[in-house]
Amino acid sequence: MAYSGIGRKVRPNGGFELAWWFFMRISGLMLVFLALGHLTITHLINSVENINYAFVASRWADPQSGWIWRLWDLTMINLAVLHGFNGLRQILWEQILSPSKRVIASTIIWGLAAVLIIGGSYSILLFQENREYIQKWKAEREAARFAQSARHIQ
Amino acid sequence: MSTSTSRPPQVYRRGTWARITEGLRYGGGIGQWSWLLHRVTGLGILVFLIIHIIDTFLVVAYPELYDHTVAIYGGSITGLPTSWSMNGYYWPLRWAFRIGELGLIACVLFHSLNGVRVVMVDFWPRASLHQRVMFNWVLGIFVAIMIPVSIWVLLPLRHAPEMHSRVITSASM
Amino acid sequence: MSTAALASDMRTLKVKIKRYNPELDEAPHWEEYTTEADPLDRVLDVIQKVKWYQDETLALRRSCAHGVCGSDAMRINGVNALACKILVRNVKGDTLTLEPILGLPVIKDLIVDMKPFFDHYKSVMPFLINDEPAPTTERLQSPADRARFDETTKCILCACCTTACPPFWSDNKYVGPAAIVNAHRFIFDSRDRGAQERLDILNDAEGVWRCRTVFNCTSACPRDIKVTQAISEVKRALLGGSIEMDRDPLQIIEA
Repeated sequence: MAYSGIGRKVRPNGGFELAWWFFMRISGLMLVFLALGHLTITHLINSVENINYAFVASRWADPQSGWIWRLWDLTMINLAVLHGFNGLRQILWEQILSPSKRVIASTIIWGLAAVLIIGGSYSILLFQENREYIQKWKAEREAARFAQSARHIQ
Repeated sequence: MSTSTSRPPQVYRRGTWARITEGLRYGGGIGQWSWLLHRVTGLGILVFLIIHIIDTFLVVAYPELYDHTVAIYGGSITGLPTSWSMNGYYWPLRWAFRIGELGLIACVLFHSLNGVRVVMVDFWPRASLHQRVMFNWVLGIFVAIMIPVSIWVLLPLRHAPEMHSRVITSASM
Repeated sequence: MSTAALASDMRTLKVKIKRYNPELDEAPHWEEYTTEADPLDRVLDVIQKVKWYQDETLALRRSCAHGVCGSDAMRINGVNALACKILVRNVKGDTLTLEPILGLPVIKDLIVDMKPFFDHYKSVMPFLINDEPAPTTERLQSPADRARFDETTKCILCACCTTACPPFWSDNKYVGPAAIVNAHRFIFDSRDRGAQERLDILNDAEGVWRCRTVFNCTSACPRDIKVTQAISEVKRALLGGSIEMDRDPLQIIEA
């Protein structure tokens, strides 16, 4: 009797560490596009020196395309925080071996991650354009530029 | 009983410092260095990510503080945008942030490319046979992208920031 | 090349050895010896020369001296290898640096405590599990099924791979590449029925998921086992719930 092993099935294992391992790969591949796209838009097409409140507002509060930017940033922020803090956890787990210290470390890691995810999602979802501030900012800019050119003329 | 000056036999367990120094001396080649770079760039990006989420929170909470912070990125000590007024302009600040920006782009790009390599090793059964070639591709693509990007990001440093710089927002400006 | 020509190629080698005497030393220290070596000598011969003619207190483990028993694994010029498989002519430069392998406690000089390593090996149940009624003849297997796990049968448990693994250096709870290779040898054996149990053991933070695909294990293996690939196959078996028995035929030829 020959033992054929072709197509042997085992129960898919699942579990915490496998799920995280899979998540790291999937989120990593998505972040390649999200993060590199974000960097291209903010650092290469635009310049960090020109980015300000009005720029962010023009993207997030745009009636047509605003939801695309918000969805992009929301996905990116959540995936990046989870990907980054799980990476940190895996690095620390190689150094911290005692279970009680790991509990303390997890509490700090996931506490910080939760704060960042809640804070970040809050800023993206509940952002409302402050027109009054933009008007005030424009007026101040004109005043500053006028003062500067006046100094140049002297 | 005779007294002995020798201590009882023991074993030597390496401490953290010995593990790091002896580990770094290990001649592991490409795989080891790509792993180390992946880890270092990952930690660097995480530190930036934390700062970046906090400063983005300012957009909602304190718009003035956000514009103030961003102006400092542009090289202004006073926090007044350099496109308005050159009063607080301090070039080393601007240079430091520009070079830091380039470092961030380099970290994200390397982490992305090497991450794709790691995913391929995990999911493509034959990939581990070609991991060295794949790392050369990672390096090649990294250099090919970083050369023009470095020029593009660093070139504005030749001149002081333009006072009436390009207006990049929509009609609200 | 004639033997005469080879004899004139005798090299003077500086041998730097990391020594540790548990009765006297707090921590290991370096000691240097100078010896003549033939290019066709193995590193093990050089060490034996030092031990026999210069310093008999030097401690090392060796047995067969032919790359089969796996007892003389050590760090040679920074990389894990078997001292009996490296020739002097392949040593770059004039210095031969010898250290005990990393990640395991040092007992004396080049001898490390292998107990943690073998405990990890035992934890994956490295023996055939099959509760089905035994046939009256052998448990037969097709050549293709045998070839599926041929590579991982070559392991000699020298610990070169496990102690080349950066995660293992700091995390001695990690089961390590060698144990996963030996689990792979049975998981992918069509006669074995214990795959599920072994996969359950390896499906842990200290199992296959500690692997960061550093490839140090693959380059250190003196038997040329593609260790990282074997680990990846176990990961995919865990992920997909099926054991890829039909490996790419090209790979079997290459292996």
